[in-house]
Amino acid sequence: MMNTKLGHVWPPILVATLFLGGWQLLVVVQDLKPFLLPAPSLIASEFSSGAAMMWGAAYYTATTAFLGLISGTVLGLITALLAQRFITVDKLVAPLAAGLATVPIIALTPILNNMFNITSRTPRVLVTAIIVLFPIFVNVTRGLIQVHATQLELMRSLNATPRTTLRVLRIPNAIPFFFTGLKIAAPLSVIAALVAEYFGGPQQGLGSRIASAAANTAYGRAWAYVLAAIITGLIFYLAIIALERLVTPRKAQVSTTT
Amino acid sequence: MTPTQLDSKNPGSALAISGLSKVFNAGNPNEVTALSDVHLDVHTGEFISLIGPSGCGKSTLLRVIGDLTGFDSGSVQVSGKSPQDARKERLYGIAFQQAALFDWRTVTRNIELPLELAGWQRPQRQERSAELLDMVQLSEFAHHRPWELSGGMQQRVAIARSLAVDPPLLLMDEPFGALDEMTRERMQNELLKIRMETGKTIVFVTHSIPEAVYLSDRVVVMSPRPGRITAEIDVDLGDREEMTRESDHFFRCVTSVREALRAHGTSNSTSSSPGGEI
Repeated sequence: MMNTKLGHVWPPILVATLFLGGWQLLVVVQDLKPFLLPAPSLIASEFSSGAAMMWGAAYYTATTAFLGLISGTVLGLITALLAQRFITVDKLVAPLAAGLATVPIIALTPILNNMFNITSRTPRVLVTAIIVLFPIFVNVTRGLIQVHATQLELMRSLNATPRTTLRVLRIPNAIPFFFTGLKIAAPLSVIAALVAEYFGGPQQGLGSRIASAAANTAYGRAWAYVLAAIITGLIFYLAIIALERLVTPRKAQVSTTT
Repeated sequence: MTPTQLDSKNPGSALAISGLSKVFNAGNPNEVTALSDVHLDVHTGEFISLIGPSGCGKSTLLRVIGDLTGFDSGSVQVSGKSPQDARKERLYGIAFQQAALFDWRTVTRNIELPLELAGWQRPQRQERSAELLDMVQLSEFAHHRPWELSGGMQQRVAIARSLAVDPPLLLMDEPFGALDEMTRERMQNELLKIRMETGKTIVFVTHSIPEAVYLSDRVVVMSPRPGRITAEIDVDLGDREEMTRESDHFFRCVTSVREALRAHGTSNSTSSSPGGEI
């Protein structure tokens, strides 16, 4: 167990070290200006000197992302439960998913900003929620529908009502699919919450900070905020992985990701 | 069959089917007569096998008995009740070719599924599942997940599950079809042992002639297009033991089943239409 965990951890660390080392080397050797590409050392020093600011901005954006993730997930689950009553074949899910993926949700932000109070967090949470809704909806619907025919026959032989079948068979069957959706949705929620800040409103989030730092030619600081955004997204992702470990047995986790 | 025809009111009748017909896609160009004028009586405690080539309707017949699919005409009585009532009263247990276990449940909780749906309380469920695990010799795997078990063990769990509510009738649709030959023969012996212990009536669908002969009191031979019963062969092998499979009597029974299958297989092959598989 311990060995496999370490085996998972070391390769990315090695790759990251090589990547950052190469980057630093490139900047120093080529004498690149920060507006082209700031060195990792500059980003790191900006990051540590502005740690309190980073933390505050990340906290604001993460809160938006979290609220959006929760409400989007709840909405996604509700729509999936409704949809599985009408969509009985998996073939119908794929075109639906493709159709939904083409909707430029982030472009709705200015419209939502006008619809709701731009000085509040609401339009951003809403955009995040809509973006989160789709991967949750598509994956969970698939999990509710993709049940073995034999298992359905078994449930019928046991005189199970559709509601019982939903509770005993379809919902447990959908849980690995749900986590597949969540693993897509969680980092996406941070990106959505961040990008939504580019369209005006309160200025204390990561997106606003990146935009204003870049506008003030403080490229090192802009990149430091990007780093904070990456870390935030990663924390969201890892939280989902931890939750998945907690909830599902080992085998079920791999079944939908392979 | 017993000399006196058992009627459906008689408690000795586990299954009474007469004039049963079923048509798929009725009225369409691809109409298929899945079952045509099927008559079958099974008395309590009897073990019968349904055998025949693909498309002969043996699985369909099993599903009609279990009310997993409907039928068009004729009558079907399971323990004197309609298939629907029999299903609702949980008068049969069923096992399929795929074990169809739930991966998210332990072996014990898979076996307890029918009990949960029947509203049993937890202590009774646990007592019953322990009993069943003991019967299929899987007690030490009680808390394993299905995917940790071999195919044969999974099928034993499925059989234990089908016995959970202690139904008088057991329907089995090629339960050993996906197992290797050695495991298969061992499972056959275990099934016979379970049958001895429980006295269940068993309707067993199979492709395998030796399996049908070894297990059954009576082999019901079916033929496709339209799906119907063409022969019933009584097997009187007495108590099964290791030597039974090598006895002359066993081979004679195998031969007569094979001839019964061939008699209709050849006469039909000329008129068979492609794509008529059910």
